[in-house]
Amino acid sequence: MQKPLYDLKQDLNEQGVFFCFSGPISQDLVVNIVTILAEKMNLENVSKSTIVRVFSMAVEKAQNILHYSDEKFSEGHGEGQNQELRQGIIVVGYEQGHYFVCSGNLIEKTKVEKLREKLSKLQQMSKEELKHSYKEQRCKGPEEGSKGAGLGFLEMAKKASKPIEFDFKDLDDKMTFFSLKTVI
Amino acid sequence: VENLVLQETEYTPGIYFDGEQNVLELKGKSYPENTTAFYAPVFSWLQEYFSQLKTDEITVNIEIVYFNSSSSKVLLDFFDSLEEVVIRGIQIVVNWLYEQGDDDMREYGEEFEADFRGITFNFIAK
Repeated sequence: MQKPLYDLKQDLNEQGVFFCFSGPISQDLVVNIVTILAEKMNLENVSKSTIVRVFSMAVEKAQNILHYSDEKFSEGHGEGQNQELRQGIIVVGYEQGHYFVCSGNLIEKTKVEKLREKLSKLQQMSKEELKHSYKEQRCKGPEEGSKGAGLGFLEMAKKASKPIEFDFKDLDDKMTFFSLKTVI
Repeated sequence: VENLVLQETEYTPGIYFDGEQNVLELKGKSYPENTTAFYAPVFSWLQEYFSQLKTDEITVNIEIVYFNSSSSKVLLDFFDSLEEVVIRGIQIVVNWLYEQGDDDMREYGEEFEADFRGITFNFIAK
């Protein structure tokens, strides 16, 4: 076990990753993750605006997992309030002078096309178009099934210094691994 | 109405709404797990307060260091409700406080200023 774990850490180091979490997530965990990230960058004298941007990307991604990951455990026999835990992976690193935040989680295959279309659109948009679309969407309110304002991806695209990157990797006939990378 | 006070936490802002002094303050970070549920009592307080206003001026102090995307929608709804009061002839002054150098946060405020012409915005770097 010792050797493979070290290899994993080396792999992460080589990719510039200084923070990695994989597993079930909760709101408390989201808070702790982003707080420690901010503390670390603060100690390294990173500029305030960069810290807030990394913080923001990490919150949006982690809360997306919290709300939408289809890799979940639920306790069916509880009456009324069902306990549910959703899981995913979050990675934060630094490469070529920029911070980046990645997230990954399973989603049902049926959701892929809609998501791909949405994200492809964001990829093509200029900063001005993103700003405009953000305002428009904020006025309009969320789509059905959203647990927030439906603004998370737009928020990230707006704050990123490069177009967002995403990928879908089919795992079986039901599930797909959805990953997303944004560079600050 | 009685004052509304919600203490600041790691991920929800401190809310200090004073119906006597007509000063509404929001301070801290906002990224609750369920934004709608968190802000529901805030909006019902506002509704009651606005229905029995005894002033012609309301001061709003906003000092938020971070809000997530769903809280951004909440702020929009908040300004919407303020603008309805402006139509009744009441002056609203928003003091938008942000940390020196946090251009994103200033820009967020300026975007609200552009959308809500009836509300006076002051931008204050701390």
